[in-house]
Amino acid sequence: MIQLKNVTKTVRSGAEELTILNDVSFDIAAGQFVAVTGASGSGKSTLLGLIAGLDAPSSGVISVDGDEVTAMSEDGLARLRSEKIGFIFQSFHLIPSLTAYENILIPMEILGLDNVRERANGLIEQVDLTNRGHHYPAELSGGEQQRIAIARAFANSPKIMLADEPTGNLDSKNGQHIFDLMKDLHSRNNVTLVLVTHDAALAARAERRIVLADGEVIRDDLT
Amino acid sequence: MRFIFNLTKREIRSSWQRLLFFFLCIALGVGSVVALRSLIQNLTKVVGNDARALMTADLEVTSTNDFSPSEIAKIEEVIAAFPIIEDRNEVITTASMARPSDPANTALEFIELKGIEPPFPLVGTFSLSSGEPFDFKLLENSGAVIARILTEELNVKVGDKLKIAETEFQIRGTFDEEPGGTSGFRLGSRIFVEKKAFDQAGITRNTSRIRRRILYRTSDNPTELVRALRTALTGTTVQVNSYREQQENLGEQFERTENYLALTGLLILVLGGVGVWNVARAFVEQKRKTVAVLKCLGAGGNRVITVYLLQILTLGIIGSLFGVLLAQGGLLIAKQQFAADLPEKMSYAVSFSTAIQGIILGVLISLLFSALPLLQIRTIKPKLLLRDENNAALSRLDWTKWIFGAVSLAGLLAVAVWQAGSVRVGMYFLGGLAATGLVLYGSATLLTWLLRKVKVLTSFSFRQAVNSLYRPGNQTRIILLAVGLGAFVVITVQIMQANLVREFDFSRNRRLPSLVFVDIQRSQIEDLARLIKERTGETPEQTPTVRARISFVNGEPIDYQQREVRQQQGQIGREFAITYREALEENETVIDGSWWKPGEAPELPEVSVDERMASTLKVGPGDSMTFDISGRKITALVSSVRKIDVRNARTAFVFVFKPGSLEKAPQSFAATTLNHVPATDRQRLQRDILDRFPNVQIFDVADIIAAVNRLVNNFVIAISFVGSFVLLSGFLILIGSVALTKSQRIYENAILKTLGARRRALATILFTEYGLLGLLAGIIASGFGVTLSYLVSRFLMKIDWVFDPVIAGLGVLVTAVLVTFVGVAASFDVLFRKPLATLRSQ
Repeated sequence: MIQLKNVTKTVRSGAEELTILNDVSFDIAAGQFVAVTGASGSGKSTLLGLIAGLDAPSSGVISVDGDEVTAMSEDGLARLRSEKIGFIFQSFHLIPSLTAYENILIPMEILGLDNVRERANGLIEQVDLTNRGHHYPAELSGGEQQRIAIARAFANSPKIMLADEPTGNLDSKNGQHIFDLMKDLHSRNNVTLVLVTHDAALAARAERRIVLADGEVIRDDLT
Repeated sequence: MRFIFNLTKREIRSSWQRLLFFFLCIALGVGSVVALRSLIQNLTKVVGNDARALMTADLEVTSTNDFSPSEIAKIEEVIAAFPIIEDRNEVITTASMARPSDPANTALEFIELKGIEPPFPLVGTFSLSSGEPFDFKLLENSGAVIARILTEELNVKVGDKLKIAETEFQIRGTFDEEPGGTSGFRLGSRIFVEKKAFDQAGITRNTSRIRRRILYRTSDNPTELVRALRTALTGTTVQVNSYREQQENLGEQFERTENYLALTGLLILVLGGVGVWNVARAFVEQKRKTVAVLKCLGAGGNRVITVYLLQILTLGIIGSLFGVLLAQGGLLIAKQQFAADLPEKMSYAVSFSTAIQGIILGVLISLLFSALPLLQIRTIKPKLLLRDENNAALSRLDWTKWIFGAVSLAGLLAVAVWQAGSVRVGMYFLGGLAATGLVLYGSATLLTWLLRKVKVLTSFSFRQAVNSLYRPGNQTRIILLAVGLGAFVVITVQIMQANLVREFDFSRNRRLPSLVFVDIQRSQIEDLARLIKERTGETPEQTPTVRARISFVNGEPIDYQQREVRQQQGQIGREFAITYREALEENETVIDGSWWKPGEAPELPEVSVDERMASTLKVGPGDSMTFDISGRKITALVSSVRKIDVRNARTAFVFVFKPGSLEKAPQSFAATTLNHVPATDRQRLQRDILDRFPNVQIFDVADIIAAVNRLVNNFVIAISFVGSFVLLSGFLILIGSVALTKSQRIYENAILKTLGARRRALATILFTEYGLLGLLAGIIASGFGVTLSYLVSRFLMKIDWVFDPVIAGLGVLVTAVLVTFVGVAASFDVLFRKPLATLRSQ
């Protein structure tokens, strides 16, 4: 489902060239639940961003569901994300001017799906926030915001779910709840789930664990 | 599409408050354009849309002399050859004085007397105040129909008798509106009498400002007839006009006025556009994360831009609609303010076409000024959700941005050209605006730079306040530009007003007469002078005047039938009052040639010409000019060109002859007094003089000055009104700018509070910052106001200019206070925020 071949990402920091990812290669099969771990600055988030086409690698090739991400235009990438990828952020990134319910509607409306309201109602029910749909993000707790973000990420039934430390801003109880929700949705919808996390306990519950250090894969094993 | 519409709707719902300033900027601009255009269009409708009704005929043949038998023969010959004449009448008009016959009633008014004959009017209708149609029988046997306002001014009623010159008329009716009577500036109100009575009453005998008209109604287009009449009358002073030409001239004049006024409105709208640009920029900045999320969720850049463009478009339309409402409000205010000086039947409603035009303009300006900021959306990358960094790619040349910039500029030019109705004027407008903007912006940059150079900033608050003016993303120069421009217009108008009022100040101008008597006959002058001396203690200055027209310049005739000459008719085709004397007046200087020496015997009559007339006629010393004086031609050599200081003039004669050639010509005398007599004594003196010398006309200069002052005041009110709109736009931009940098200020204040700054210190910073900003804006506005008023006074209006430190100083002070008030009021709540919440959310 996801292939990375010799992916390197360097950025310029002042006069220096900083290597964030160095010659990273791996495949992720369809339906797999992969946890990517590593210390701060090891390149985890960058890796996730490159897979989603949010940024381009300096060299190497990335393919997602047969599409070569590294060869696509901005709009092509947007279409790819719209159709195939769901993204969950550490700081939720809900659109502040829209209600929780409307945030869930957005991806479906971008794709031009029908019956979006019914589906949004179903999703909001799945994340157990039926009564909070008309609230704005600022009126929700962190846990609630993340649940809405998850519902939004699943709205278009993506084949791939990318989650960047989704529990990082939450207390352990809420974090656990979010993780369970994601795992549940993963197994029910059979999506490929790539989870970036600091939390070793959460990573241990994934099917496969990739460990990054200084931009390189130092461990890649099935749990 | 559903995504675009839904998101647009939701975004408007959540951010309309933040875009309120956007909305108001557009509304104010559109309001100005629509109000100004509607005002002039409505005025046109009442005053000038029907030249035929104004002329009360299809065609007129007019002269300020009696028609000579040869002229009449020529006219009749041509008329007979055109079988399109349906009817004709003759009309005679002059200015005169009217006074009630009742000796107990000492009232006195300057009037415009019109002698008519049936059928009248040839075109249009004439109704009396009572609503009944005018009947010619009312005028028979010394009857008069007078403007209703005269019944109040003269304290008379229908049935009373009036004396005009030597004749008595009975008031038989009043009217509110006369045919053809609504246009032009007139000194007095109208009185209609029978033409026969006019001729018999001796009014025509002694007075020289008489216009005779023969009016024709035609069954067909009179263009050919006009041409034939002009050809036949070449070489005479008779003028031929058709209503069609008048219509064209009127139409052109009104259109030009409307377009110039619309440009003033456009100026406010463009300022609104600057506000829009500012708001749109901040809006995009605030929406960076949302845009990134949308892109991350799969929305392409163009779709996101479309969402925000639609949002701007919607707000532009609503703002424009609101502007139309504002315009209607403005027109109602204009009605309150100026109704007395505008035609009675004028409508104060916004016209449909102007409203539509305003809305289109509003939307165009919204789009033109928000296009560039919105384009920035393209460069927002979804990766900022992972790592918020500035886009390094921005530094490279962005062609799209440049192309859009050029397109916006071209669009703006197109709008200006459209509004000005002329490519040239549109370009001047935009060029002038750009130049003014650049100069103001440059001054703002210079002043803020100088302020920063002030090293002795010991006070913490003052230092912080100055630093705030340089905060990243600061709006200092934009605010100085916008507020400065508004205040600049207002201050300029104020200084101009002060100078104009000073110019017409009676007491300052020692040679300005208080009373002017004209049309005094030779036989009357001595008695009249004696009477004046008895009553005022002053011997009036007496000047002989001869009425003359220019016939030839260097032997070439002035062809009054030519269009260009006819257009300059007011300047050269008119009848001149000329005089003769030995010496130059105090206020005259010879600038070319030489003045005659006393006692020199003339071989040929000599004439001295006023500087402006000399340049209009292109004559100088050595040229010859031939004058027509009551049908007799006198040729004179131009011996000098004079400059007349009209500001200090007791009289201002365009042509002065050397004594010796005009003494035998038919002439009357003018007399002037300088002493200022109290108003009641002046009135009594005028009345007594008229009783003894009914043919004499008296001008009370105080009345004229009062009329001019009223005109100046109305003009000032109107310009100040527009100026205050410009200022208001400036303040809107200021408020908008405060909002833009507010989050930054909140953050700074939170940090300063955490570091121990007290609220008092923060408040001082706030006051100092806006105080400084206001002071700079005031200095710029006052500085340029003083400069512009000087330039306009000296070079355009050619009046004295005096520096008025009070207005200039008040300008700086008021601007500073207003800016401080608005700025502080818009940011005051910042002082009361708790730092913790702010720091946490960062």
